[in-house]
Amino acid sequence: MRVVAPRPLGSAEREMPTGARAALVVALIYIFLVGVSSLEAGIKIMGADTQERLFSAVSNPIAGLCVGILGTVLVQSSSASTSVIVGLVASNALGVDQAVPMIMGANIGTTVTNTLVSLGHVRQSAEFKRAFAAATVHDFFNVLAVSILLPIELIFRPISGTAKWVSELLVGSSGTEWKSPVKKWVKEPVGWLKDLWDQLGASGNVKGALMVATGLAIVLVALVLVTKNMKALVAARIERSLNAILGKAGGFVALVVGILVTIAVQSSSITTSILIPLSAAGVLTLRNAYPVTLGANVGTTITALLAALAASSPDSLTVALTHTTFNVVGILLLYVLPFAREVPVLAANRMADIAVRRRVLAVCYVVFLFIVAPLLGVAVLR
Amino acid sequence: MVLSFFRGGDSGLDHVVTRSVAMVTDARHSFDLACTALMSGADPRSIAGDVRETDLRINANEQQLRGELAVHISVHGPNDIGEVIGLILLLKKIERVGDHAKNILDLAETGVSFASESDIDELLEERRIVSGFFTEASEILAEHDGIPESFRDRVNAMIAQIQSRIDAYMTSERPAHQVVPRAVYHRYLKRIVANLNSAVLAATEPVRVADDSG
Repeated sequence: MRVVAPRPLGSAEREMPTGARAALVVALIYIFLVGVSSLEAGIKIMGADTQERLFSAVSNPIAGLCVGILGTVLVQSSSASTSVIVGLVASNALGVDQAVPMIMGANIGTTVTNTLVSLGHVRQSAEFKRAFAAATVHDFFNVLAVSILLPIELIFRPISGTAKWVSELLVGSSGTEWKSPVKKWVKEPVGWLKDLWDQLGASGNVKGALMVATGLAIVLVALVLVTKNMKALVAARIERSLNAILGKAGGFVALVVGILVTIAVQSSSITTSILIPLSAAGVLTLRNAYPVTLGANVGTTITALLAALAASSPDSLTVALTHTTFNVVGILLLYVLPFAREVPVLAANRMADIAVRRRVLAVCYVVFLFIVAPLLGVAVLR
Repeated sequence: MVLSFFRGGDSGLDHVVTRSVAMVTDARHSFDLACTALMSGADPRSIAGDVRETDLRINANEQQLRGELAVHISVHGPNDIGEVIGLILLLKKIERVGDHAKNILDLAETGVSFASESDIDELLEERRIVSGFFTEASEILAEHDGIPESFRDRVNAMIAQIQSRIDAYMTSERPAHQVVPRAVYHRYLKRIVANLNSAVLAATEPVRVADDSG
């Protein structure tokens, strides 16, 4: 046996040239938009009966909220679930009123990933406490924001109303067909998919279901690949930004960094999961990590906005903008107001204290919040 | 600071290596100043502030860079774990070199001075060689080309020479006030050279890989 030295420092290999990876990302975003458009086309093929069934399944807003949580937990990506919701709205399978609670549910569901990551530190008490607090501060913020804003939204519609107003400013009133330029670019490949299923003998609802399944698969795979490649493209930038936060940056800077990083990687789960080991190691404090997660909440809404570009209905843009508005209003309520800012932090610290003493409760918390409660909600309220 | 996301420049491990080179330069500055206090007859109090400030800067850099290495692992995953372990070790070694330079200053502050001693030329020559090692270590870290064989040989020779001096002091019949400060000084000197050697080793061969193929 001989001993060989590995590569010296600073000589890390780059697998793919930056230009090629950037071109790949553009191509993947195009494929993602084809997926959203395919989803919309599939639902339209399936006809009014299917649309009515979907409508009635989520007519109760709490059931819609629970569907949003479950759907997002299932794919571990709010970008993916909100893009699908946008596609459903574009095909008229969902109305804005049904979609809004689902979008809010997606916001809660997306926090499961970093909470699961925090469970990886369960063997080390001090580390676990910091990691679990950093993960659950995101949960508490989202649950609190939904608890406050969903009832207000259901009564007065301020969030969807604002989103609708912005949407009308941008593309015209709902009920009209929006001539999205992106829609034209993706029309051809969606046509190829329809032809493919035609040639394979599919028709009617079967063809519609196959188009929906193909669209879903394309959306999920494309998003995963976009996220992976964007992360590789901007890893150095993410690193520099996080180092700036570690230095002396304040909450606003951390919030903006959270937005930028999440827009870049198209995944709030990536951003928030990066924070967990840093918090566990004590490199990042809970109060430093918290605004980054809030920024991630806003940044992740870019994907649904992107998906809305491929949709033909202004309502889909309204829903995507509702996601952004909800998160911005949530930050204004629970972060900008100093006394409210402490609530999620204190709750997360308290929860982490309990979780460290009784670790099984941490697992119960995850299972209850992300699986049992939403399942019960759907079963009872649909 | 938000603009750090859009700016280019050194990033990740390259940035840590660049900063560690600056830390070696700081450590050399401390060492040279501390030795000046011990060997030139200068008032240690006029130098102490600079040495302690430099030591604090080295320690602060070490802590900050360790945080940056944690960020690197969080962002990039475990692909660079060997390099990160090497860099953590490198930073620790440089920090220890800074500590030993401060120890030499402490020696001068207790009233020890070799300025007018008969062996001052030998001591100055040793100091010159060791000070040169700092420069070479910086170059090795900056160039990433591995450790030149001649550097290893000269470092090992210097460690052996310093150890032989320590051994000689231990059995010397000269008065204690002459041999004890020299033995203590040489002990610090040996740790400085050994830590510099370990620092460049940690950077150029972070983790040794067992290879059965040959």
